[in-house]
Amino acid sequence: MELTMEHISKNFKDKKAVKDVSLTITPGVWGLLGANGAGKTTLMRIVAGIMKPDSGQVLYNGVPIDVLKEAYRDVFGYLPQEFGFYPEFSVADYLEYVAALKGLTKKDAKHKIEKLLDRMTLYEVRNKKIAKLSGGMKRRVGIAQALLNEPEILILDEPTSGLDPGERVRFRNLLSEFAHDRIVLISTHIVSDIEYIAMRNTIMKEGKILSVGTTEELVELVKGKVWSSVVPMEKLQKYERELKIVNLKNEDAGHVVIRYLSDEPLTKDSVEEQARLEDLYLWLFPEALQKGGSEA
Amino acid sequence: MRLFRLELKKIMKTRRTWVMIAAALFLSVGMAWLPVTFEAVNVYDEAGNRIKGLEGIEAIAYLKDLQKEITGVVTPDKIKTALREYQACLREYGVEGTYDLPEGVYERRILPYRAIMHGIKEAFANRDNGMARDYMEIDPEWGENYYQACEERLISLMEMEQKNNQAAQSAALKMYQAVEKPYVYYPGYNSNATEYEGFLIMMLLLLAICIAAPVFSTDYQTGADDILRCTKHGRIRLGIVKLTAVAGITGVLFVICITIHLLLVNSFFGWECLKTSLQIEWSATTLSNWNMGQFQLAIALAGFLSFIASICFTLFVSSRCQNVVSSMAISYIVCLAPLFSYLMFGGISVLEVWLACILPSGGICVPSGFLYEVLDFKFLKVGNFAIWEPYAMLCFAGVEIVFFAVLAVCSYVRKKG
Repeated sequence: MELTMEHISKNFKDKKAVKDVSLTITPGVWGLLGANGAGKTTLMRIVAGIMKPDSGQVLYNGVPIDVLKEAYRDVFGYLPQEFGFYPEFSVADYLEYVAALKGLTKKDAKHKIEKLLDRMTLYEVRNKKIAKLSGGMKRRVGIAQALLNEPEILILDEPTSGLDPGERVRFRNLLSEFAHDRIVLISTHIVSDIEYIAMRNTIMKEGKILSVGTTEELVELVKGKVWSSVVPMEKLQKYERELKIVNLKNEDAGHVVIRYLSDEPLTKDSVEEQARLEDLYLWLFPEALQKGGSEA
Repeated sequence: MRLFRLELKKIMKTRRTWVMIAAALFLSVGMAWLPVTFEAVNVYDEAGNRIKGLEGIEAIAYLKDLQKEITGVVTPDKIKTALREYQACLREYGVEGTYDLPEGVYERRILPYRAIMHGIKEAFANRDNGMARDYMEIDPEWGENYYQACEERLISLMEMEQKNNQAAQSAALKMYQAVEKPYVYYPGYNSNATEYEGFLIMMLLLLAICIAAPVFSTDYQTGADDILRCTKHGRIRLGIVKLTAVAGITGVLFVICITIHLLLVNSFFGWECLKTSLQIEWSATTLSNWNMGQFQLAIALAGFLSFIASICFTLFVSSRCQNVVSSMAISYIVCLAPLFSYLMFGGISVLEVWLACILPSGGICVPSGFLYEVLDFKFLKVGNFAIWEPYAMLCFAGVEIVFFAVLAVCSYVRKKG
C-alpha cells in the first residue's frame, strides 16, 4: 500500500503554492510539518482530490486517483483545516449523513457512530446541535467523521487545533493505534502532535519539501546547533535581539536559562543540548520566533 | 433512498426552510382571500334609495342572484336582451353613459348584464381600425350573429397584430374555431382571483429560490463541501440527491400551496363558476378552448413547470457560486429578468417574446407569464411555422428542467478548488 505524489505543482495567480513535490507515503503515521503558508493545505487538498494540480499526479498503489475515483474515495478519510458543518444538525445526525455518503449500511453506520462517539468522548452531546459545541468538540466531530469508514488513507489537516492537552494526548494514542496497516498523514505546524507518533516526517517550506525522515534522522540536522546558557536578566533583551531563543526559564533571582539555536555557542558558559524536532522546526522557520513563538 | 431521506432531513432542519414554508402557506391563504375583499356592491330599492352596502362573500352571493338571468349558455337572445336593456335604460334617462344614470339604476338594470356586455363591444368593434363602438351604435339584432362577429373580429385583430405572419393568423383562426360555442357563464367569479393565482406562483418561486440558492454554495462557503466531496458517494450521487431533494421539497410545497389556494378561491366564489368560458371572463376572442376551471389548472401546471425549471436553474447557479449572497443575487435577477424585459420592451418586441419563453421563469413572471400570454395573441415565428407563445413556454420549461438539472449536477461534480 502506498500513496505517491509525482511532481505536483500548483500556482495561485502569482503565488506558487506547491513546487514540484514528489513523495511516496507508506503505511504508518506521517507528519507534514511546515509554517502557515508553506503549502501544506494545498498539498492535502490535492491528495484529497478536491483540488486539481497544475502539473503532476497522485497515485494510490500505482493508479492515478483520477482513474480510481469512487474506489479511492471509498478508502479515504479527510479532515480539512476549516471544518464546515451544518449548524442545525445534531452530532449524531451529521455522522449519520456522512456515513450514508461513505456508503456504510444503516446497521454498520449505527454501530460505528456509537463506537466513535464513545471513543471521541462525544456520546453525551450526540443529540446536541453542532453549532452549540465548543471548538474542541467540533474538531472531535470532524475527526470522528473522517474515521467513520475506517479509511486506508487518512489525511488530517491541523487536526488538533482547538483541542486541550488531554484531548491531544488521547487523539495521538487513537491515531497510533489506528495507523496500523494504514496511511495516516497529519499536516500541522504543532510539532508535539507528531514528534512522538510519526513514523516519518516531511518538512515543507515555501511549497517545497525540504527533507523527509524519521524524527531522529531529522533531528540530526540540528545536532550541535542547540545550546543553553544562564544569563543575567538585564542582558536578556540584548540576547533576544541577537539569538534565536526557543525557550526561557527563570532561574534564581536575576538570572534566566535560555535555550537557543546557533551554529556556534555565543556565550562562554553555553552547554550543548540534545536537539528535538521543535528545534529543527524553529531552525528552519525562524519567522515563527518573531511571530511570538510556535505552538509546539 | 437513505441518502435522499437524510438530505431532506438536512434541508428541513434549517430555520430558513421553515420560515419560507410558513410564508408560502400564509400567502396561499391570504392571496385567496384578497380578491374576495375586492367584491363590493350597493343594494338599492325601486326608488333608488341605498338600502345597504355588501362586501366580500355577501356581495358575491348578491351578484350571483342579480345575474341569474344570464346564467348558463350565452345565447344570441341573451346578447340581444342585454343590448336592448342597456339602450332602453340610457334612452329612458336621457343620458349618454352609465356614469350619468341616477343612483341605483345601474345596479338594478345594467349590472345584471355586465358580464356579457364587454364581449359585445369587442365583437362588434370597427373592422378597419379595431376601435370599439359605443353600445348605442350597435343594433341589438346584430346579436343574432354574435359568434360570427367574434370570429370576424379575431381575423381583423390578427391582421393588425400579426401583419406579416400569415402562419400565425391561420393558427389563431384554427384555434378559435375549435373553441366551444356558445359560451357559458356562471356569475360570481372575479378575474382578479385568476391574476392572484399567477401572482402567488411568482411569490412561491421567490420563496423557493431562498431555499434552493444556498444548497451548494453554502457548503462551498463553509468548507463542508470539502468533506462531502471526499466521500464515496460525495460527487454525482450527492449532486443528484441534493437536486432531487430541493426540487422535491419546493415542488411539494408548490402543489400544497396552489391546492390550498384554489380550494379556498373556488369555495369563496363558488365551484359552478369554473364552468364559465374563458371568453366571457376575459376577451371574447381568446384563442383557448378552456373554461375557468381548466384555465386555473393550466396556470398551475404551466407555473409548476416554470417553477421547477427555475429551481433547477437556481441550483445550477448555486453549484457555480462560492458564496450564498452571489448565488441568491444571480438567481433573483434571472428570475425577475422577464419582468425587466417586459418593462424595457413594453411587451411588444419580438426579443421580449422570445425572452419570456426562453428564460426559466418566463412562464411565471408577472406580467408576461403564461396566464397573460394565454389571453394574448402572440406567436413565435419559426420558419414557416407559428407557435402560440403559451405552448412554447411549456416546451421550453420542460426542456430547461432537464437541461439545468444535468448542468447543475455536472457543475457540482466537476467543481475543483
